[in-house]
Amino acid sequence: MTPMHRLSCEEVFSRLDDYLDRELKAEEMARVREHLETCAACAAEYRFESSVIQGVRNKLEHLAMPSDLLAKIRASIAETGAAPA
Amino acid sequence: MNATNPNPSPEVAASRATDSVRPVAPAEHEFEPLLTPLLNSAYGTAVRLTRNDADAEDLVQESVLLAWRGFGSFERGTNFKAWFFRILTNCFFSKYRRRKREGTEVELEDTPELYIYCQTAAMGLHAVTEDPASVVMNKFDTENVTSAIDALPEEYRVVATLYFMQDFAYQEIAVVLDLPVGTVRSRLHRSRRLLQKALWELAKERGIVKELADSAQGNH
Repeated sequence: MTPMHRLSCEEVFSRLDDYLDRELKAEEMARVREHLETCAACAAEYRFESSVIQGVRNKLEHLAMPSDLLAKIRASIAETGAAPA
Repeated sequence: MNATNPNPSPEVAASRATDSVRPVAPAEHEFEPLLTPLLNSAYGTAVRLTRNDADAEDLVQESVLLAWRGFGSFERGTNFKAWFFRILTNCFFSKYRRRKREGTEVELEDTPELYIYCQTAAMGLHAVTEDPASVVMNKFDTENVTSAIDALPEEYRVVATLYFMQDFAYQEIAVVLDLPVGTVRSRLHRSRRLLQKALWELAKERGIVKELADSAQGNH
């Protein structure tokens, strides 16, 4: 079996979005991770982007539905009465 | 989370259900436990899609009724969340989307990758903190972030909303929006770049960039 070549910074950069979203195959995830463990510049970019994504998610966590919405939904279902076929 | 294909189309099934003879087997005991845990996040997503609290409430209610009527087409044991959000986004596209957005919309010109990273590096912020991203994000509140998402063109705003608010995988977003996974991937990556640019523009308008520059210069 031929050993896989180590990814360059450019190759890692092109995979960074998919890596952030865990959308690469396991083998590719491992290759990117290996690079990030040894390249401070790429690791800094990865940490920054990951933190921005998490920061956006955290800011959006606080939207709650109006307290009476569930009651309205139950009432409209009861009124509709059309049960699933 | 495994994505599943919610075919047949719930809207078609809903239409058939209402047009045909009265169904015989109510399934409230199945429907409500699946739906209730999703309602808060469905409402939050609807607010971002419609940019309007009242429309969001109507959109959720209408989507729930469509889902209820089409519940017979839902394949038990598959991904109810993706199935329901497909109904919600289709309902939004067909009835609630605005023809023209008021206010600023971020430019669709190519936005560089690592936009905020490059901006903050250039101002020297990375030299004075080990976690510059957190320093930046801590300057933003929920209203800043929602304003930036609202500034995205619709096709990017919808994908970004599903990604950031629901934590859907690419495949799930593809199911919800009935798009190829590759389209979801490219649209999502671009929407993140556009969002960073929108956030940064907003940060400039609101004096946040100046605060960050002052921090980098040790002037605070």
